Amino acid sequence: MKTTDSNPSPTTTLDVTAAERRRLPNGVALYLLHADEFEVLRVSFVFRAGSVHQQVPFSASATANLLAEGTRDLTAAEVAERLDYYGSWYDVSIDRDYVYISFAMLSRFAAETLAVAEQVLLRPLFPEEEVAAYCAERRQRLAIERRKVDVEAREAFARALFGPEHPYGIAADEAAYERLTRDDVAAFYERHYTAPNCFVVCSGRIDPAAEEAVAAIAAQLPGGPCTEEISRPDVAEPQVAAGAFAGADTATAAEGSPFAGADTRPFPAPATQHEARVAHPGAVQSSIRIGRLLFPRRHPDFAGMQVVAAALGGYFGSRLMQNLRERNGYTYGVVAAMVNFERAGYLAVAAQVGTEVTGAALAEIYAEIERLRTELLPDEELALVKRIMEGEMMRILDGPFGIADVTIENLLCGTDNGAIDRNLALIRATTPEDVRRLARKYLAREDLVTVVAGDSLS
Amino acid sequence: MIPYRKKTLDNGLEVVVNRDRQSKMAAVNLLYRVGARNESPERTGFAHLFEHLMFRGTHRHPDFDRPVQMASGDNNAFTNNDYTDFYITLPRDRVATALELESDRMTDLAITPGKLAAEKRVVVEEFRQRYLNQPYGDQTMLLRALAYRKHPYRWATIGLTPDHIEAATLPEVEAFYRRHYRPSNAVLSISADLDEERMLAMAEEWFAPVPDRPAAAEPIPAEPPQTEARRQEVERDVPATTVTVAFRMGRRTDPSFQAADLVSDLLAGGDSGRLHRRLVKQRRLFASVNAYVTGDLDPGLFVATGQLLPTTTVDEAEEALWGELLSLADGQASDYELEKVKNKFEANTLFGELNVMNKAMNLGFYCMAGDLELVNRETALYRAVDHDAIARFCRETFRPEQSSTLIYRAAR
Repeated sequence: MKTTDSNPSPTTTLDVTAAERRRLPNGVALYLLHADEFEVLRVSFVFRAGSVHQQVPFSASATANLLAEGTRDLTAAEVAERLDYYGSWYDVSIDRDYVYISFAMLSRFAAETLAVAEQVLLRPLFPEEEVAAYCAERRQRLAIERRKVDVEAREAFARALFGPEHPYGIAADEAAYERLTRDDVAAFYERHYTAPNCFVVCSGRIDPAAEEAVAAIAAQLPGGPCTEEISRPDVAEPQVAAGAFAGADTATAAEGSPFAGADTRPFPAPATQHEARVAHPGAVQSSIRIGRLLFPRRHPDFAGMQVVAAALGGYFGSRLMQNLRERNGYTYGVVAAMVNFERAGYLAVAAQVGTEVTGAALAEIYAEIERLRTELLPDEELALVKRIMEGEMMRILDGPFGIADVTIENLLCGTDNGAIDRNLALIRATTPEDVRRLARKYLAREDLVTVVAGDSLS
Repeated sequence: MIPYRKKTLDNGLEVVVNRDRQSKMAAVNLLYRVGARNESPERTGFAHLFEHLMFRGTHRHPDFDRPVQMASGDNNAFTNNDYTDFYITLPRDRVATALELESDRMTDLAITPGKLAAEKRVVVEEFRQRYLNQPYGDQTMLLRALAYRKHPYRWATIGLTPDHIEAATLPEVEAFYRRHYRPSNAVLSISADLDEERMLAMAEEWFAPVPDRPAAAEPIPAEPPQTEARRQEVERDVPATTVTVAFRMGRRTDPSFQAADLVSDLLAGGDSGRLHRRLVKQRRLFASVNAYVTGDLDPGLFVATGQLLPTTTVDEAEEALWGELLSLADGQASDYELEKVKNKFEANTLFGELNVMNKAMNLGFYCMAGDLELVNRETALYRAVDHDAIARFCRETFRPEQSSTLIYRAAR
C-alpha cells in the first residue's frame, strides 16, 4: 500500500509582510498591515501600562478594564450597545508590562466602531459606582481563581522566581480591592495612557477613511515627560544574533522601540527562592511549576532555549508528555515554554498531577531535564521539534489577526517582522550539541526553582 | 458564505470540500457520528475515552502525531454528547499526509492492553483536573442529571464516574471501534486553497479502499415529557453561590432554534445583553450571568445562570432571572435590540470564516446534522426571526413545569 512522503522538505521562509509605519505629530507610531482580501479590520492600541507600573494594587488592570465603563459622551451601557449593534468586538488584555486594547470590526462598520473607540480611549470617566461594582466583582472572581491549585502554583512560582515584592513577582491580596479608589484609577490613566507610551497596529482591510479615523484618535493622546533612550542595563546585547541579523530587510519600520518615549523606571534585582510549597488540603491533584529565571527574547540564547523548551515539553509527543502522560499516566497534560517579559524571561514547566504521584512526577521531570544535559538529542527528534516550531508559527500567522499579534510582539522586542524568518533561521541552525550545551549551561539541578501547590505532600 | 462541493463515496463516507483563497494552511476534519449519547449507562465516558485511543497508533503508524508534526501540522480532537471530531491543520501541500493518517486509523487501530491501561489513567486525571479539582467543576454534571431522567444527555461527556472509565475492557473497545468508526458513519471535510475537484479526488484516493461495516443504529432512549418543576440544592466549598435554571427545548435542527439562540443573545450576548445590563450593572444582584442553548441533535436545554453577589439571596436571584425571561415572553424586546443580536450573529459568522479550521469544522457539523445547506442559509433564517417568534419561544419554553433549578450554595 502506498504512503505519503513522510519526510517533507521544510518550507523556506514565511515572508510576512512588513508593517508600514506612519508617525503622527505627537510621536505615536501607527503600523499598518494591509490585507484587503478580508472584510474585517482589527485596530490594537498598545500602552506601556501593565501592572509593573502601578503603585496601588490592581490599579493598572482596573484602569484598562474600566475604560469602556462610562465616557464623556456615552454611558457604559451605550458603549456596549453600540459595539454589539455593529457586531464589533472590544477586547482588553493586560500583562505585567503592557495593556492591549483591541477593536475588531467589519470594515464597513469602521467609522461607527472607531467613534466608540475614541470615547473609550480618550474620554473615559471611571464613574465612582462602576469602579465600586468592578472591585466587588473582581474580588469575588479572584477569590474563586485562587481556589485552583494551578493559579496558586502560578502565583507562587512568580514569587519564587522574582521575590514577593518584585514588580514581576508580587500578587496583592484580594482584599486590596477594598482600598482601590476612583482617584487611583484616574491617576493611573492620566499618567500612563499618553502618546509616548502608545503605539497602534491596524490589520485587515484598512480603508483610507478608517486609517484617518485611527490616526485622529491616536493624535489626540497627550504628550508625556519622558524622551530619553530606553536603557536595558540588565540584559546582554544580542551578540550572536547580530550575525543572523546582518542580512535583514532594512526597508521596514523597525529601529528600536515602537514607543516614542522611554521608560526610565529603576528595575530591582530579582531575589530567587528555590523551593516553595502551597498547602491546599483536599486537592486531588497537585500543580507543579519547575523552571528558572533566564533572559528576555533579545538575548542571543533565547531562540536556542525555545528549542530546548520545545523538546522538553513544547508539543504533544515531547519528552515530558511521553513520560508523564503516555508512559506513566500521571497527568492530563504537561508543558514547557520560554516566557518573555520586557525586562526578564524564564523557562517554566507546568503540570497538574495526581496528589499521590506528585513526588514521582517531580523526579521524572528532573530526570528528563538531566537527560537533555547528558545525552545528545537524536537528529530525528530535533528535526521534528524544528518542524513543529515552524508549523506553530505558520498557524499563528494564518489570518490578519494573528499577523497583528506577531507584529505587536516583534515591535515590543524592538524588532520588525523580518525577525520571524531570522528567528526561524536560528531555530533551524540549532544542533544537538547546541541543545546539550544550553541545557548544561542553564538547567543545572541546583539552579532550578520548584513550586508545588496541593494536598499534604510527603 | 462558505462555497462547497459534496460527494458521497461508495462506502458511504460523506466528503465536503471548500476552496479557501487566502490561507496557506489546510484544515482536514473527520467527524464520527458517535458521542456520549450512544453510550450504555454502565460505561459512560466511553466515547471520549475512545477518542483518546484513536491517537494511540496503528500497525503502520505506531505514533499518530509524529507524521503530522513532521509535516509542520497540528492535530487534536473533541467529543461531545452527539459526535466526535478529529481535526488536523497543516500546510496546504501536505493535505495527503492528513488523509492518509485518517484513513489508516479508520481501519487499522492497534490497541493493546498496555495502551488502554495508560489511556485510562490519563482520562481519569482529566476527570479529576476538569471536574473534581475545580470550583464548580461538577455543576454541569448535576444540572444534566436533574434535567434528564432517561436520555443519555443526563451524563456529561467525561462520564458519570471515573469507575466507568476504569472498568472499560479491550473487547468493549474493539466492539465500539467496529460499530462506530466506519466510513458510512463519518463526514470528511476539507478547507484549503486547492482545487475542489482535486480535493475530492484525494479523498476518493485515500478513503475509497476503506471497507464499510454497516451497523444498524441502536435506539437512544427518548426523554419523557417533564410535567413538574425540579429543584436541587447542593453545598460546596466555593466562594459564591450560583443559581441555574434549565428549560427543556427542541433540537438544533428544529425551526424554532434560531429564535431560541437569539433569545439567549438578547439575554446574554455581550455586555449589552439584558441580564448583564439589568442584573449585574443596574440592580447589582449578580457578579456574572449567562444564558445559552445547548444546540443538541436531540431535544436540548435553554440554560440561564448567574453567580450571586454576597448580598443577594437565592430567592431574589431566582425572581430576578425569571423576571427577565418572562419580560421577553411578554414581547418586550425592541426592534433595535432584535436588529442588534442579528447583526452580531452575522458579524460573528464572518469572523468565523476567516479561518480554514472553522470552515472545515462547520461543514462537517452541518453535514452531520443532516442539513448541509443550512451552513449558508443560517444567516437568512436568523434575519427572518420576528418579535412573534421570540415571544412564542419564550412563552412555550419558560414555564415552571419545564424547568430544572440547581442551587449551588457556597458553604459558610
